[in-house]
Amino acid sequence: MERIVAVWLGLAVSEQTSFLIKSGIFLSVCGATLFVALAASYPAVHDTLHNVRHALAVVPCH
Amino acid sequence: MTVRAEDLNIYFKTTPSIELLRPYADPANMSLLITGADGRPVKQGVVDIRLDAPEPGRFFSTDFPFVEGTRLSEMRMELRQGRANWKYLFPIRGEYRLTVVVTTADGGKANKDFKFYIRENPKKWFALTGFSIGLFLLGLIAGRVFTGAKSAMIALFAVLLLVELSRAAEPPRVQETENAGLEIGAATVGTPTAVRWFLKNAEIAGTSNALLTLTITHLEKEKIAFEVERIPVGNEFSMKFQFTDGAEYRVVALAEVPGKPTLRSEKVVGVTALEPPAKASVPALAYFVGLIALGLGIGRWTKRRAITP
Repeated sequence: MERIVAVWLGLAVSEQTSFLIKSGIFLSVCGATLFVALAASYPAVHDTLHNVRHALAVVPCH
Repeated sequence: MTVRAEDLNIYFKTTPSIELLRPYADPANMSLLITGADGRPVKQGVVDIRLDAPEPGRFFSTDFPFVEGTRLSEMRMELRQGRANWKYLFPIRGEYRLTVVVTTADGGKANKDFKFYIRENPKKWFALTGFSIGLFLLGLIAGRVFTGAKSAMIALFAVLLLVELSRAAEPPRVQETENAGLEIGAATVGTPTAVRWFLKNAEIAGTSNALLTLTITHLEKEKIAFEVERIPVGNEFSMKFQFTDGAEYRVVALAEVPGKPTLRSEKVVGVTALEPPAKASVPALAYFVGLIALGLGIGRWTKRRAITP
């Protein structure tokens, strides 16, 4: 299904390019998630993960 | 750990020993002993004590970046049989510097710097190692999943807007006796705060022979962050103390004045927290994302090796 849609949209790419794109998006999502979890000051997130931040030794907190 | 000064002998000791101390574990009993050249404790004198926090690390921050490289406490204590004792809860790992200046009643003076290293809690290193392995494995699995299938991708970009909020300090709640008072300046992480205890009542103040017990307790962690016990003071005692965590602390002063009931003063201090600077967060986040990227690369490599005949 994925391939059919890709060809239909004219977006078929090589395996290597596909891997790079997927990896890039995956790393972006992971980086954003890590930022929110470990560095954002949004109170609900901070208060929930406060102890986790301190437990990781290298993650700054207030 | 014991170090000697040249003219007067200045000994510094912690209980438990420095090797066993860990940040935010239990308060250490800090002890200074000042003796003359004959080895006998100095009978009268004062000691000025300054404690400075470790300097920032080269790459990784500690969990309290605003504390790094700042003054933690500054106080003057009278010597009792050549000794000065207090309790202190170390906030972060690293090399601390304790500066001691002794002034004896006969005008003698000596000073000494003590440097000592507080090691990180091993549980934290264990947690960091486990978290790092988890991120690497996540990347490894993703690398294997992403390898081998030809497909198309439509990238989506999300922008996360994050609101920076600092927790405002709560106004101190005061419970004071009529005869003694506590004054505590606005407390902010990273900056020493003036803490002053004083006798209000002129009649009692005239005796000027009070023994003061001052305790600062971290309410959330239920740990003593600082304490001096029954130190001789005049009509007042003042010091600078850095509240190292953006949380609530209780400051309690008990003064024993001859012929009077114990005078109790208490304040709860809400400490203003500061958001860590980006330069403190970026290295850790870069490290974590780097681990995932490493896992991706190795995952792809192992998958391709398995596919290629």
